[in-house]
Amino acid sequence: MNAIIFSAVWGVLMMYTGFFVKSRNTINLIAIAGIVLLIICNVHEFISGMSLFSIDTKGMLFHSNFGLVFLLIILISTLMYFLLSGNDINAAGKSSSDLYALIFFILSGIGVVAGFKSLLMLFLGIEIVSIPLYVLAGSDKSNLKSNEAALKYFLMGSFSTGLMLMGITLIYGDTGSFYLDAIKAGLSVLTPMKAAGLLLVLASMAFKVSAAPFHFWTPDVYDGAPTVFTSFMATIVKSVAFYAFLHLFDNAFGNLHEDWKNLVAVIALLTLLIGNITAVFQQSVKRMLAYSSIAQAGFMMLAILSLNVFAKQGLLLYFAGYSIATLGIFAVLVKMKDHSVDAFNGLSKTNPIIALSVLVSLLSLAGIPLTAGFFAKYYMLLAVIREGHLMWLVVTAVLCAAVSIYYYFRVIQAMYFKEPTNILTLEFSSTFKWMMIINAILIIILGIHPDIILSLI
Amino acid sequence: MSITEILFWVLSTAAIVAALLVIFSKNPVHSVLWLIVVFFAISGHYVLLNAQFLAIVNMIVYAGAIMVLFLFVIMLMNMNADQEPTKSKWMKIAGVISGGSLTLLLIAALKYNTATTGGEEAGIGLIQQLGKTLFNEYVVPFEISSVLFLSAMVGAVVLGKKEKNIVNSDIANQ
Repeated sequence: MNAIIFSAVWGVLMMYTGFFVKSRNTINLIAIAGIVLLIICNVHEFISGMSLFSIDTKGMLFHSNFGLVFLLIILISTLMYFLLSGNDINAAGKSSSDLYALIFFILSGIGVVAGFKSLLMLFLGIEIVSIPLYVLAGSDKSNLKSNEAALKYFLMGSFSTGLMLMGITLIYGDTGSFYLDAIKAGLSVLTPMKAAGLLLVLASMAFKVSAAPFHFWTPDVYDGAPTVFTSFMATIVKSVAFYAFLHLFDNAFGNLHEDWKNLVAVIALLTLLIGNITAVFQQSVKRMLAYSSIAQAGFMMLAILSLNVFAKQGLLLYFAGYSIATLGIFAVLVKMKDHSVDAFNGLSKTNPIIALSVLVSLLSLAGIPLTAGFFAKYYMLLAVIREGHLMWLVVTAVLCAAVSIYYYFRVIQAMYFKEPTNILTLEFSSTFKWMMIINAILIIILGIHPDIILSLI
Repeated sequence: MSITEILFWVLSTAAIVAALLVIFSKNPVHSVLWLIVVFFAISGHYVLLNAQFLAIVNMIVYAGAIMVLFLFVIMLMNMNADQEPTKSKWMKIAGVISGGSLTLLLIAALKYNTATTGGEEAGIGLIQQLGKTLFNEYVVPFEISSVLFLSAMVGAVVLGKKEKNIVNSDIANQ
């Protein structure tokens, strides 16, 4: 609850900083202060178990420990995002304060998603996250590709929201309630009406997390949107969509698990195969990361599939590992004019520290031991194995992880085994270098001690 | 047959026929006009269901404001039949299969529907009742939706703000 209110208020505050504060660095600092405040409030709510505000939500919002830990991971990732890419957000538009305001409104929506107990809240939360994102995707107004990305994202996103509303209507018609608990109690046998509602909600959630066959918007939107905001979309927002997916299918449709399990298994399989195989053929690193985010979504789908304790814990670990690693790579990619793999040629010779941090991020995405990505993938696979009788999916997932090593290592190869071709050597500030080091250290700490997150739940 | 039933059948037929005409009209302007008919028919259903406020809002907002906007956009875009992108055969087959499956499911949902109809209170659709529900039971979602509208407004301003030196980079590169 704290996070929802404070981030909405801070969003309004950020809007006014555009009037009163001229220096962009100050705006940056105010945004970082806001995130730190949000983290403190959230930790306070986690420890004391009480929000600073007592609001009677009629049982529509309740932040469990799981939700608060999730929120904490998201807020820390956002802090890392602001620290790494803050200057690039400033460079993205004439009025960066408005862009920051939109990001804070998104965080407010994330707060709603983290604690929804009613389908109405789920809808509101997802819309508060989506609508500012459409704008952020199109914030580079002078670029046709950015315009295209925004329009495409907006049209497809609204359509999928429409599907979700239709599904919610059917479920409401069948169970007579928006509340997750009532829906769970009402859904014990699958009737055609429930099936129709479930299917529509599943399709729209799969769209939001860009799982195949609903992934077609992802490469175009991620490629066209300004790189700073692609980084935000591909990490934080994707984690939120997955959290909503898990929370909804666990707490509302959990009783019908046996019925939709096979469908989700097929979606996970398709997502893994399409994401990984298409990523192999990409020449641009930005587009490769878009497909890699689809591939990682395939792994996260395994958590939705199995819904046991390993899946839930592992998913949070996955959010942290995936978000931080991807943010690190994108932060470097933003600074580059050219997004092809060749742009990374010889980075280890010109900027050894940056190259090393990108290396750690890429290893984490590939799932190499000692990085956060390893345990994240391990938990996902463990969750499916515990469910039994889906070994074919586990085998495919492992093979896909092996394929993913190819395209991640192509960037590593360019950085370490090729001669620098860039005539203009990239200049990185020392603050940025420190942030990249912290980013890499976070990944390694999570890789060695995943129980930092797991013990919280 | 009571007058309500007669009204129900007339409105339903009008809604379905108009909805089909929306899809089958070749001219997009005609489609929009038929869509307005659909909205009016549905508003009639709302009145039959005792939801007068919803009926009026549906007419003003959808049939009035949004559809006029639609008409303007379509007229400004000046669409011709030869500009329409051609869809591949496989795309059409896939669309028919998935759409057909969904229709089958929805028909089954209607046929085996077990939902019970709620008790109809006389004043349930009046503004007074709506206001009480909105500000008692649903006050938190109501307040939270203000964040949604605020963010949409800020977004519109961000997109609409004039920026100096707009260069169309893609066209400039060509």
